[in-house]
Amino acid sequence: MVNEKEVVLFQGVDKVYNTGTVALSQLNLSIKEGEFISFLGPSGCGKSTALRMVAGLGEATRGTVEVFGKNPKAVIETSNDVAFVFQDANLLPWRTVLDNVLLPLELRGSDKKSRKETAISVLEKVGLKDHIKSYPRELSGGMRMRVSIARALAAKPKLLLMDEPFAALDEMTRQTLQMDLLNIWEREKMTVLFVTHNVYEAVYLSSRIAVMSARPGRLSNLIDVDLTYPRERTTAKFTEYVDAASQSLEHSMGRKELV
Amino acid sequence: MTVKTVPTNAELVNESSKLKVMKGKQKFNLKYLGPILALVIFLSLWQFIPALLDIKPFILPKPTDVVAAAVKDWHLLWPAMQITIFESVIGFILSAVVGIGISVLLASSRVLEISLYPYAVILQTIPIVAIAPIIVIWFGSGFNSIVIISFLIGFFPIVSNTLMGLNSVDKNMGDLFKLYNASKWQTMVKLRIPAAMPFIMSGLKVSCTLAIIGSITGEYIAGIGGGKGGLGYAITVAAVQLKTPYLFACAIAGALFGIVFYLIVSLVSRLVLKSWHESAMEAEK
Repeated sequence: MVNEKEVVLFQGVDKVYNTGTVALSQLNLSIKEGEFISFLGPSGCGKSTALRMVAGLGEATRGTVEVFGKNPKAVIETSNDVAFVFQDANLLPWRTVLDNVLLPLELRGSDKKSRKETAISVLEKVGLKDHIKSYPRELSGGMRMRVSIARALAAKPKLLLMDEPFAALDEMTRQTLQMDLLNIWEREKMTVLFVTHNVYEAVYLSSRIAVMSARPGRLSNLIDVDLTYPRERTTAKFTEYVDAASQSLEHSMGRKELV
Repeated sequence: MTVKTVPTNAELVNESSKLKVMKGKQKFNLKYLGPILALVIFLSLWQFIPALLDIKPFILPKPTDVVAAAVKDWHLLWPAMQITIFESVIGFILSAVVGIGISVLLASSRVLEISLYPYAVILQTIPIVAIAPIIVIWFGSGFNSIVIISFLIGFFPIVSNTLMGLNSVDKNMGDLFKLYNASKWQTMVKLRIPAAMPFIMSGLKVSCTLAIIGSITGEYIAGIGGGKGGLGYAITVAAVQLKTPYLFACAIAGALFGIVFYLIVSLVSRLVLKSWHESAMEAEK
């Protein structure tokens, strides 16, 4: 299902913060349409920084980031093509579930009548149709994350950016949400950029894993995961990929210690 | 031979819930009985000590003297209260509307906020009693000046609270709005103002009692201006005439009004924040 159309391109990207911290160094990566790519790495490896640049929320110090062949800021200003799911659900506590999902449609000024239908249909997709009148505080962490995903899907993005969305959830909830996310990805034919520090999660979800190393953040390895979906977590092949990813992660951390 | 009956589960549950109810009652008792008891003790001491030490009512009236004075001069006290209530409510509404409006204006322009906020802080430190005479010179004695003094004293807490709230928006939520290319106005209306609501509400709670202090102070200084006087005016008159029991009645009337006003604003605040904010949730439990 991966074709050659380029969705995201990092070209020689450096990011140096004002404090002098080098968050990213010489990141080169091309992400094709329909990919599910995970940035896997320890904290401080710049994976979130890279994701924020794609969303137009941060700028590269050197090099270029392109989304659909354009500047990321221009993309978010002119289209609904990019959506972002934050680590905490980041819902507006004074709005009901339905109103939270309606928010992107309101801000984008889409047609008033169709808004509600769209919102209800995405809430149906994430299995929350019965909770549209609830407030975020009345929901569990997993349900809140579902609302957050529904909100991201509401504007029909082509590129979904996810910054450790399941990190704060318990294992059971996380696995269910991973499964649901894959279903959505296959159905909607989106490109997904997924940031995680969990090796199992990366192998279970991704068509490709970008392993990052820390201080300075750099791309240390790219792993193509040639496993058919849905994946079984217990097969030998799965374990092999987990080992490969873990080793490459350890290798990148080891190198950090040598420096 | 006696047969011991083993309590069933249901009975046990029943027992424990009864126990809980009893415990709840005890808590209730302590929570309400304590303060009531303290009040009764305080009032009885107040009642008997002046009698015991033979203190004259115009120095320290007994509670019964105060009640008697309030009843006797009710035809004076009640109109005075009405006037003060009216002035305070108008002053408070003005400070809420103008305060929130100016805060939103300041917060929507970084340049304006940086340039003007320091002066807002400085103005806040000017004692209101010191500028009250100037206000009387400008606006004449009476209603207008009193309302303006009441407005000014409640204005700054609302501005500082609202500004703090408008600037305390969660960074991720701000990013979310950026991501959807929200305009400045959309961000203000759909994110910053709702996020500031808890702050605005606590500003209003502070200001509503201050508004009463403002109007009573205003009445001291700006007098009655032709019409009937409010509580502040009544207090000055009572003090001159050494009608100490009536003076006490006026002060207590002012305090009661303050409590009621505060409770009303708190209720509004709870209704507004009910759906989501923790401070309101606590109260729900």
